[in-house]
Amino acid sequence: MAQKILIIVPAYNEESNIGKTIDDIMASGQTATILVVNDCSKDQTAQKVLEKSVMLISLPYNLGIGGAVQTGFRYADDNHYDVAVQIDGDYQHDAAYLKDLLRPLCDDKVDMTIGSRFLPPFSSYQSSFLRRFGITFFARLISFLIKEHITDPTSGYRAFNKKLIKIFAKYYPHDFPEPEAILIAKRYKARIKEIPVQMRERLGGQSSIRYLKTFYYMVKVTLAIVLDKLKERKEL
Amino acid sequence: MSVKILALGFGLVILFSVLELIRKEKLTFKYALGWLVIGIVAIFSSIFETVIFKTASFLGFKLPSNFIFFSLLSVFILFSLLLTVFLCQQNNRNDLMAQKIGILELEIEKLKRKINKE
Repeated sequence: MAQKILIIVPAYNEESNIGKTIDDIMASGQTATILVVNDCSKDQTAQKVLEKSVMLISLPYNLGIGGAVQTGFRYADDNHYDVAVQIDGDYQHDAAYLKDLLRPLCDDKVDMTIGSRFLPPFSSYQSSFLRRFGITFFARLISFLIKEHITDPTSGYRAFNKKLIKIFAKYYPHDFPEPEAILIAKRYKARIKEIPVQMRERLGGQSSIRYLKTFYYMVKVTLAIVLDKLKERKEL
Repeated sequence: MSVKILALGFGLVILFSVLELIRKEKLTFKYALGWLVIGIVAIFSSIFETVIFKTASFLGFKLPSNFIFFSLLSVFILFSLLLTVFLCQQNNRNDLMAQKIGILELEIEKLKRKINKE
């Protein structure tokens, strides 16, 4: 049976990237519904999306990337989608890897796949020292806490099956959600697999994680991850 | 003696302000309850100050004023913790509403397009 797939594209002030991102997904040949969640952008993001034949949800005020992605999960849950994919609207995620990300989910081998920049054959991702340090720190911390090897916990290139869509529709962290979401999924005993992908360098727009925010990011995410261990474990 | 009048006056001001705010429907009972209790306790303890002195020495405070400061601080810390909980609850509800509005707008848009096609 064909799976109903929803591609959630969160976008905040991405007028220069969102069009390319959508074209890239469409060119990948993957049959899926594309839903852009515009997180109350101040620029022309919504107008750029309306030029394309994709669905658009515009939030009335800015909720942060987690709130935007969660809107996608809620939509997917309401409309009974089997699989939800997150592709960020900044054109960093290459849609060519969509099929790799989806295959283990469609075969029901895992509940969640994460596109990792640090798995062979692609492990040459270039990034600032600070960011590399942050990613390694969270990779070690999360791998230790869930007793499973995770290489790219901050990657937002992910796919989820129906069970996790239901869970994340109800609760999803609002700021810097990616590392914490792994812990939440694990708490529900989800099977997670990392898939090697390549990502592009950021072109226009602004990353949601800037220098001044980095410290807050590190503290918040570390605390959130550790505190998540205190929460009750549940079955999927 | 003047301290007693001051404390009593302050307690009465709190109590009547809270009552007035409830009457004007600016405070709902759920949130007013704590303030009513605080007002009544303030009035009670300004009239029967010996109760405070006895409780203070029973609990081992050297000065009754230390006991009063301690009690006030504890109450306000608990109060602000409760307020933070309410704030988070409101925040979650607001976010849920924003998401639902976004989804509903999309559904309306889809219906409009469907009607226009027919």
